[in-house]
Amino acid sequence: MSDTSTNNDTTAKTDDTTSTTAITTIEALHEYLGRAMQLEHATIPPYLTALYSLHPQTNSAANQVLRVVAVEEMLHLTSVANLMNAVGGQVDLTAPGFVPEFPTYLPDGEEDFQVNLACFSPATLETFLKIERPAAAPDEARRLMPARRRTDIMVTAPGDPELRYYSIGEFYAEIERGFNYLHDRHGDQLFSGDPTHQAGPEYYYSGGGELRRVVDIDSARSSIELIIGQGEGVGTGAFDAENELAHYYRFEQLKLGRYYQLGDEPHHPTGPDCEVDWSAVYPTQTNPRVGDLSGFPELQETAVSFNRFYADFLALLTKAFNGEPELLIEAVPKMFEIRNKATVLIRNPIPGSSATHSAADPTPDGPMHAAPTFEMESQ
Amino acid sequence: MGPDRLDRFLALSAELTAFDVVELAGTGESDAYLATVDRIVGTGAVDALLDAHTAISEPPGQARDHQLRHSMLGDEFLGPLARNVIKLWYVGIWYQLPRSWREVNGARDGDVTFTISANAYTQGLLWPAVGANPAGARAPGWASWTEPPRLAKL
Amino acid sequence: MRFPTGAATRTDLETAAERTYDAVVIGAGVSGAIMANELSTAGKTVLLIDAGPGEDLTVKGYESYLETFYRQAVKDNQSPYPRNPNAPMPRSVDIGPVAPGQPETSGYLVQPGPYITDTTYTRVLGGTTMHWEAKTPRFLPEDFEMNTKFGRGADWPIDYDELEPYYREAERELGVAADVDSQREIGLPFPDDYVFPMHGIPLSYLDQVVDTGIDGTTVELGGERLPLKVRPYPQARNGVPNPAFNDGEGYRPVGAVGTHRTDEGERCQGNNNCVPICPVQAKYHAGKTLAKALQTGRVELLTQAVASKVHIDPANGRVSGIEVKVYYDPDDPAHETGMITGHTFVLAAGAIETARLLLASDLPSTSGLVGRNLMDHAYLLNWALLPEVAGTMRGTVCTGGIVDLRGGGFRSGQAAFSVDIHNDGWGWATGAPYTDLLHLVDDHNLFGTGLRRDLATRISSQLLLAFMVEVLPTETNRVTVDPAYKDQLGNMRPVVSMTIPEYSMRGVAAARQVSKLIFQRLGAKDFTRYDPADPSYVEFDGEGYAIRGGNHLAGTHIMGTNKRNSVVDANQRSWDHENLYLVGGGSMPSIGSANVTLTLAALCYRTAKSMISELN
Ligand SMILES: Cc1cc2nc3c(=O)[nH]c(=O)nc-3n(C[C@H](O)[C@H](O)[C@H](O)COP(=O)(O)OP(=O)(O)OC[C@H]3O[C@@H](n4cnc5c(N)ncnc54)[C@H](O)[C@@H]3O)c2cc1C
Ligand code: SF4
Repeated sequence: MSDTSTNNDTTAKTDDTTSTTAITTIEALHEYLGRAMQLEHATIPPYLTALYSLHPQTNSAANQVLRVVAVEEMLHLTSVANLMNAVGGQVDLTAPGFVPEFPTYLPDGEEDFQVNLACFSPATLETFLKIERPAAAPDEARRLMPARRRTDIMVTAPGDPELRYYSIGEFYAEIERGFNYLHDRHGDQLFSGDPTHQAGPEYYYSGGGELRRVVDIDSARSSIELIIGQGEGVGTGAFDAENELAHYYRFEQLKLGRYYQLGDEPHHPTGPDCEVDWSAVYPTQTNPRVGDLSGFPELQETAVSFNRFYADFLALLTKAFNGEPELLIEAVPKMFEIRNKATVLIRNPIPGSSATHSAADPTPDGPMHAAPTFEMESQ
Repeated sequence: MGPDRLDRFLALSAELTAFDVVELAGTGESDAYLATVDRIVGTGAVDALLDAHTAISEPPGQARDHQLRHSMLGDEFLGPLARNVIKLWYVGIWYQLPRSWREVNGARDGDVTFTISANAYTQGLLWPAVGANPAGARAPGWASWTEPPRLAKL
Repeated sequence: MRFPTGAATRTDLETAAERTYDAVVIGAGVSGAIMANELSTAGKTVLLIDAGPGEDLTVKGYESYLETFYRQAVKDNQSPYPRNPNAPMPRSVDIGPVAPGQPETSGYLVQPGPYITDTTYTRVLGGTTMHWEAKTPRFLPEDFEMNTKFGRGADWPIDYDELEPYYREAERELGVAADVDSQREIGLPFPDDYVFPMHGIPLSYLDQVVDTGIDGTTVELGGERLPLKVRPYPQARNGVPNPAFNDGEGYRPVGAVGTHRTDEGERCQGNNNCVPICPVQAKYHAGKTLAKALQTGRVELLTQAVASKVHIDPANGRVSGIEVKVYYDPDDPAHETGMITGHTFVLAAGAIETARLLLASDLPSTSGLVGRNLMDHAYLLNWALLPEVAGTMRGTVCTGGIVDLRGGGFRSGQAAFSVDIHNDGWGWATGAPYTDLLHLVDDHNLFGTGLRRDLATRISSQLLLAFMVEVLPTETNRVTVDPAYKDQLGNMRPVVSMTIPEYSMRGVAAARQVSKLIFQRLGAKDFTRYDPADPSYVEFDGEGYAIRGGNHLAGTHIMGTNKRNSVVDANQRSWDHENLYLVGGGSMPSIGSANVTLTLAALCYRTAKSMISELN
């Protein structure tokens, strides 16, 4: 199951509109999309924490990979908001529980890991590889699997907490099936949402991937496929149709110490060296809590004000996704401000603390550093 | 260099710059700046500066400022050091000490104008103080420049 | 944008010397990169030769420029680019105090004076666009007809309409962000359905403050009343793509250049550092075109290779080869010399270096104009403190300016100018914000809250107006060479003699008056001061001004209608050497008051087209 090279081609499978789907009502589709937003967002705090834990002017490779992946998760979040708006659903990033409490489970096909808020390290990288692991279910029957653990996992099948998806890719494949099924039933009526709520390409771009307005079944499908392709790369190999490298393989470059180049087979990059300096990292407290800083009022206040700022940011996004897409322009400087505030915390050692790591872990010892806690007030 | 000494250096720096200790440490440069001053003027001189600061007992206000000027900023030996500490935090540059100081106290090895490190530049506090970012670093993001600047209330 | 791995080092002198290329291009700046890309896309083989260090363009290499910049205590506009004695470049910080009657020789340019320019260009892969600011205005139609319209300067052998389609090609390649209506308003004709690749970059808050303050202001020039208004500049930096571009095809911004796949290089983030280096490669630089050219597989790149002599076949005047010196290490004069051959040759080394190379080769010239007519904009800086905090030090270096004085009947009497509002404050004039910090700490004896408050109000309310004044071609403004002055490789250095012509000085004097008027309307405190000891100090009509170099070098191989009045024809082909093209600013007969690069890029597209049909 951890053999990631046996990808099935899910694109072919998802195009098959006759296959069964768990999503047979618009309400169910809304619920799935709500989960999808939560899922896309849940990876952002861990990626940002790792990114900002890198010492400045070092680790150029890790810095770029993490930055780009985090930015693309923002794109995915916005894409899912577009999907939700297209079918008349409600987007609310400020709802209680929207931001998970860390550590948290994410699905990966096995119940073998939780996601932490932690500094960049080999272990953190392993987790990221698991999050983005390309994993297609071996066969149709196993695409939904009985949940073997608690119900706080993210990608359980809505409505049935006992069932969960084999991978994030499969989860999105289900959403695509749902779109197809409902489109067959309702035709273009499905896309009843207000088109002015759609955020178009003018609100986002980086080197790869584009934000698309979702107004019909074709744009819905292409948005979903973009998310799958950029993230885990299900069924498409290391590079997607636009020759962009999927997140999994971007992370893998850091692990293998080598960049991919076009034409490379998965797991066998042949590009230039990709250097990582594991020791050039601030050893932050794992899954920090504001409460842990009670002895240090200035530091605690900084952590609290970070969370307040982050909550405001989510509120701004919520407004943007509810009919004011132009607010996304305003959100951009806020993201840079989040970076500034996060780095201040991360560069502050917690007085009197110490972090020691096993001999195998190259993360530097010394005082433990503070970090954003991403605890939202509503929780 | 005990943590205690670093704490005292941060306390001095907070008073001189009007940025709080978390903001100062948040630059990641505390150790590097203290080490720079130590290396160039010697730990004895730095201790004298820290002692002069600790000795000021007045609560914040005009009387305290008066004391700071008399026993530190207006001291012929300590004043230039204190001003250099301000400049370090604000722009990450060690400025060569004034000629008059060098003539009286002797030139010191390494006392030339230089930027402490690339990070020191990018973390200069002058820019947040003026509601901007250091040129070429810590970008504020697309279209941020169309809005009035946000300056911290002091 | 992917730079093919190893492309910068794949070819060596020996291999290159054995081949005969369709075209040999000297200089991998924007001119050379466009030529190489166009020629190779048309199926031609190209050898591109550059004097700069021979490394692939990687994100890491780019970051090392950035880190070098961060580490400099004095951040002049060449500070990211390491010194290279084998291919030196002018740096403003090198210019020493000049003794009267003595030439300035401490900088790379040898300058007999008395006027000393601090103009620069960069000799690295990508050329001067690595550090340009990336304003991309078009020339006005009247700029092409200076003699006909105003009895001044020279006409171009082509007019605006002739160049217009090539302007559009250049705007696509450089990725220009602008709103076409704002450009129509200043008298530029465009095809009806034209839109720029990207929407305009929004004006800074500072621009808005100035615009509000001068609302309704007019100035009288040559009997005409002209309005003053802050307008946005077209810029070659990534903004918001216009979906209507190219008949609704839209535009995909070009990101960072590197040998492996990266997705750095997005929208401009307002780093306020376009000069000397944009940290995220939102700003166009020629590496983007260079990478594209290399991807054709028909371009070879020979780096650390300084073209040193052009050889001519005396029988027919055709170029038979170019001698290049290839060095191993910037600090070590050791090098090998070889002869490169091809069917055609393109010199794209920049207006000063191209002229220098021709003159050092001692070629015959019918017109005798090689190196003459050197032009550069004359910049007059004016600085003041606004009565309110205006958010200076944010945004791109310049988002807006006053461009209504670029054209008009007054040009028969005095130079035109445009006015840049500098979002980076007084930096260019005074060394702000560092000098402000030193002043407030050392002279005002401030610390703590008082210091923070005064820093904020002083720096955030700085206004610097840079007036870019037109300079006409003058034969005595020129580049020459002198065997007494050589660089480490033994190549003769450029000797540059410049004086600011009276026509331009009248423009300078008017510019100063306009700046005073603007400051009066804004209630701004004028701090402008020109130091008589400044090597760039010029007196005119009883007043003194410091004239900064404009970095918009032109005129040294001027374009014209016949071999006696010019060095190249309208296709930038040398009149005297049939298979030699001289491309870049050097071909321009005028520079108006627009930054030159978009126009020189447009000229390259036009030249490439005619070269390709010639080669076929
Ligand atoms: C600070 C600054 C700001 C600027 N801002 C703007 C602006 O906003 N807008 C604008 O339009 N223009 C601007 N410019 C001008 C612009 O950068 C130039 O017009 C443009 O880059 C010229 O391009 P080029 O390719 O003709 O020459 P260059 O870019 O100078 O390229 C010449 C190339 O030739 C190489 N070379 C030189 N000599 C030799 C030799 N002997 N052998 C081999 N190779 C050689 C060099 O290494 C270099 O790569 C600015 C310039 C500066 C310095
Ligand atoms: S403002 Fe910044 S991000 Fe924008 S082009 Fe200039 S340097 Fe680049």
